[in-house]
Amino acid sequence: MRGIVKRFPAVLANDRVDFAVAAGEVHALLGENGAGKSTLSNILTGLYRPDAGEILLNGEHVQFQSPRDALDAGIFMVHQHFRLVETFTVAENVVLGDHRGEGRTFRLRTRAIEQRVAELSNRFGLAVDPRAPIWQLSLGEQQRVEILKALYRETRILILDEPTAVLTPQEAEVLFTTLREMAADGRTVIFISHKLHEVKAVADRVTVLRGGRSIATVAAADATPRSLAALMVGRELDAAPVTRERTTGEPVLELTNVWAEGDRGDAAVKGASLIVRRGEIVAVAGVAGNGQRELAETVAGIRGATRGTIRIGGKTIRGGDPRSAIAAGVAYVPEDRLGTGVAPSLSIASNLALKGYRERHASHGPLLRLGRIRERALELINRYSIAGAGPSSPARLLSGGNLQKVVLAREFSGKPRVLVAASPTRGLDVGAIETVHAYLREAAADGVGVLLISEDLDEILTLADRVAVMYEGAIAGETTREDADVEEIGLLMAGGQDPRAD
Amino acid sequence: MNNSLLVVVLASGVAYGTPLLYASLGEVLAERAGVLNLGVEGMMLVGAVMGFWAVQRVHATTAVSLAVAIGVAAIAGTAMAAIHAFLVITLRASQIVSGLALTIFAGAAGLSSYLGNDLNLADNPARHHFDAIFPASVQHWSIVGPILFGQNLLVYASWVCVLAVSLYLSRTRPGLNVRAVGESPASADAMGISVTAYRYAHTLAGGAFAGVAGATFTLAITPQWTSGITGGAGWIAIALVIFAFWRPALCLVGAYFFGALQALSPQLQARGIHLGPTELWTNSLPYVMTVVVLVFVSSSGARRRLGAPASLGLPYVREER
Amino acid sequence: MRIERRLRQPRWLLVAVPAGSLVFAFFASGLVLLATGHDALRSYRQIFDAAFLNSGALGQTLTQATPLAFTGLAAAAAFRMRLFNIGAEGQLFMGAITADAAGLYLGAHGWPQALVIVAMVVAGCAGGAAWALIPGALRAFFKTNEIITSLMLNYVAAYVMTYLIFNTQSYWRQTKGFNASVFPTSKAIPSHAFWPGWHIFPLGGGLAILAALVLWFLYTRTRFGFEAQVLGDSPRAARYAGMRTRRKILAVMAISGSVAGLGGASQVGDFAHQLDADPNGLQKQYYGYTGIVVAALARYNPLAVVVVAFLIGALQNAGNTLQGADFPSGLVGVMQGIILFSALGGELLVRYRVRLGRTLPAVEAA
Repeated sequence: MRGIVKRFPAVLANDRVDFAVAAGEVHALLGENGAGKSTLSNILTGLYRPDAGEILLNGEHVQFQSPRDALDAGIFMVHQHFRLVETFTVAENVVLGDHRGEGRTFRLRTRAIEQRVAELSNRFGLAVDPRAPIWQLSLGEQQRVEILKALYRETRILILDEPTAVLTPQEAEVLFTTLREMAADGRTVIFISHKLHEVKAVADRVTVLRGGRSIATVAAADATPRSLAALMVGRELDAAPVTRERTTGEPVLELTNVWAEGDRGDAAVKGASLIVRRGEIVAVAGVAGNGQRELAETVAGIRGATRGTIRIGGKTIRGGDPRSAIAAGVAYVPEDRLGTGVAPSLSIASNLALKGYRERHASHGPLLRLGRIRERALELINRYSIAGAGPSSPARLLSGGNLQKVVLAREFSGKPRVLVAASPTRGLDVGAIETVHAYLREAAADGVGVLLISEDLDEILTLADRVAVMYEGAIAGETTREDADVEEIGLLMAGGQDPRAD
Repeated sequence: MNNSLLVVVLASGVAYGTPLLYASLGEVLAERAGVLNLGVEGMMLVGAVMGFWAVQRVHATTAVSLAVAIGVAAIAGTAMAAIHAFLVITLRASQIVSGLALTIFAGAAGLSSYLGNDLNLADNPARHHFDAIFPASVQHWSIVGPILFGQNLLVYASWVCVLAVSLYLSRTRPGLNVRAVGESPASADAMGISVTAYRYAHTLAGGAFAGVAGATFTLAITPQWTSGITGGAGWIAIALVIFAFWRPALCLVGAYFFGALQALSPQLQARGIHLGPTELWTNSLPYVMTVVVLVFVSSSGARRRLGAPASLGLPYVREER
Repeated sequence: MRIERRLRQPRWLLVAVPAGSLVFAFFASGLVLLATGHDALRSYRQIFDAAFLNSGALGQTLTQATPLAFTGLAAAAAFRMRLFNIGAEGQLFMGAITADAAGLYLGAHGWPQALVIVAMVVAGCAGGAAWALIPGALRAFFKTNEIITSLMLNYVAAYVMTYLIFNTQSYWRQTKGFNASVFPTSKAIPSHAFWPGWHIFPLGGGLAILAALVLWFLYTRTRFGFEAQVLGDSPRAARYAGMRTRRKILAVMAISGSVAGLGGASQVGDFAHQLDADPNGLQKQYYGYTGIVVAALARYNPLAVVVVAFLIGALQNAGNTLQGADFPSGLVGVMQGIILFSALGGELLVRYRVRLGRTLPAVEAA
């Protein structure tokens, strides 16, 4: 790919990017969020069309008008959010859109397809039942389905966007083995990530993107995580860990044997017990989909607990009632910023008043005090240096980092006792991540009990005082930061089983 | 025997149910692709008027005239659906408002009435119409005669359509693709399926079916043209799609059931049977039952197995940030 | 052609698009007229005269516009919160039924005019609200899609109304007099239950303007409106912020239904003075559906609804008056449809920027 340029309204996502990969290699595309990795891969897969630049495949010019062209050219991408039809079976998803070879037939021969898929999954050791509907599968299994889709199409170039986010460290190693086998087979694997050690572990070569530009391509063997980080961020990282005083204040959040249902009506949280003390950061680690999101929502009152009690500052709160949780002093930074954390089309001022609008400073009986709401918004915009828009512009225009500042500004202004933060840095760039981390530490220093839900072990290990691991809805284990060991946490995340064993 | 209430009601139920069946098959196709089209009534009315016009204009044998008329009705319905398709697929307009606008545009106080009056179609019987195709002796067979063999070609053709649509959706690759487009357009798109093309094709096919459904009134049931001849059948067809859980075979059952309800009230009155406010409940029942079914379908357990295509009513935009 | 999302929506477009839609609709309908051999300019002249200039025309236009203002407001009130209540039609019928009952009963019992009118207003609102609360409650408690349920209930309401006019035991049916034994018709309310007007301006029209002001205030200046706004934009954000989602759905549906029901009351009190002379008369007007058109054209702004209702009412009135050999029937529906189509298409211009050709952004030197 040469000189790729892609512009979105107000963003230059790719600025003359050059990117070359060879057959038979695992090539990592490294960069922060917002560096242009996803845009570049979406161009390579025909989803977006570049504004300028050219793509050469085996030395020949290609122009992809649509995803089909790219698929036909043997390029397949496993997106971060899987592109699977939930109600379809595995086999149906695998053959979906296939229009070559046996895909040319008008009839859908379900039996034959299921058999083909079963063969493939045996051959590559990707165990999954071809007849199972997608919605019954775990995220790890769904990822296997995506890879099966690629294999079924005899893909030459496989792109994976942040594939390890849904895996335990051990599962990730299994995936890496599969990827290396595929490369040894003569295929090309493009591995998109912002995690340095992964890149080092799996890739042959690494291309670093920053601010929409390609910075360098280096051999993975010659690179160190430190040198990669410097390329990625553009400066030397401050590697010294921040140490904080351990506190042993009184408990502000106590969960006792909490059960809650998931969206499908099955139990998602199964008897979780946990204590967060004043001024403490407790992290909940786990592979996505093990009940962490539901746990966070239960504490915030958005989801009702079917059993068990939640105590805030010693007082039991009514489950399933966000208002009483807010009143008890629970602040919540939801995983889904744009949509839950803010109402996207409403103004920033309205979003800053989203929880406080009932209070005296924002309303007078049933009437709103619009002037006060605006003043307060200006004040918060200043204090948290929210950049990019004024109080009356809609929230969806903000960048991820500024959006998160809006959420944090609002949540902190409610003077909380407990802060639940669910993946608060997902999708943010390094600068914004540091800001969010600083705010979380500051909150803890002010005596707030912080419950941090994260899938990023690095983040957990830099922030948390204690780490609880969640597996299949229950707390599988708990350690302090001093005793934390990545290997052991990984095993707990997998429910004590090591997938490398077989 | 053949005059018994049940046989008469079922036989006319099949006849009245046929336009409902055609229209709902078309709506199933559109909705399975994720496009809700509330303009069924309007598309039917335009199909009704244009089909009738064709049969009056074409001077040919009965078979040819009727074939042409059905073709014209289908094209007319398709043209109406094209407006909706362009607005909601290309211009991303609200599917609800656009569908209602289509009904106002094409409906009883709109284009269909404009065309009917301008082409002087009122107050004339159709020159050709669809008649029962089996010999009288067969039609007089006990029970099955009137119900199964007393019908016109459009009824039998609709059975073929049910089978065809059903097999298409469940057993073919394009059928799989449509369902994917309706459930998860982003997945379909990533797999090289053109969401836009599939949505257009199936919305237009839905229009063609609705056009034929309208022509069923003017060429078989009445057979003549008056303004607003479908009398709300298009809305019942929309209800029927939900009632049938978006499945063609169940559309057939539902269409005949709703058709039979329509036939029931006059039959009961003719026989002097009083079952409370007959008209009220026979007429309202299809709507009330649809509401009940909808409540049932919206329970979370049933939703995944029976429910509406997940992206029904939502525009799909790929390149947006 | 490329379509990009606009980051900022210019204000002038919000006015230009509906206005442009109107112009475009007249142009496009003109083409339809020419294609079918009519004199377009003459037809438009006829419409204009019949809507505004002929004697009594303005009064008739107000008669048509008043129910449209109510149903338009009903749609705007619900659609603003993204509750797609398309049941204003049925809610209007129900409001007419209950208000008519109140007028008949209290009028016959000799209540003073002012009290009878207040009772009719209250009864109309209650009837419409109750009918709207069916889809509202189903949505709030079972998450049932309100679009289809409210639509279905329109037909049920229509059949209920027909039944009440036709049924011999019905309280609403006229049983005395010669005509009543030939044609089923409904009872007229006593004359002191008639709503007074100001010259040609009906009381209902005033109530509609009042309702528009109240709705505008409610949605822009109160906590209730703020919550409805959040809920409309993102139900998850509303729940997250501790807003009572169910209550709000019920309240908004009740408000929407009661406005539509008030339109039904105004039908009885201002104009028909009975449930309906022609059993299917009210149903032929499609006030409920046209109200959605009105609301969409007004971009769901209550104050704009009143203005748009007047214009569409004028068109509607012209269509009703001009039926006959001289004037192409159905033209009004065609025009309404085209106005709405172009307004919907124009919405794209408000939300997105359309670029023709492939513009290559300049790459500035590094």
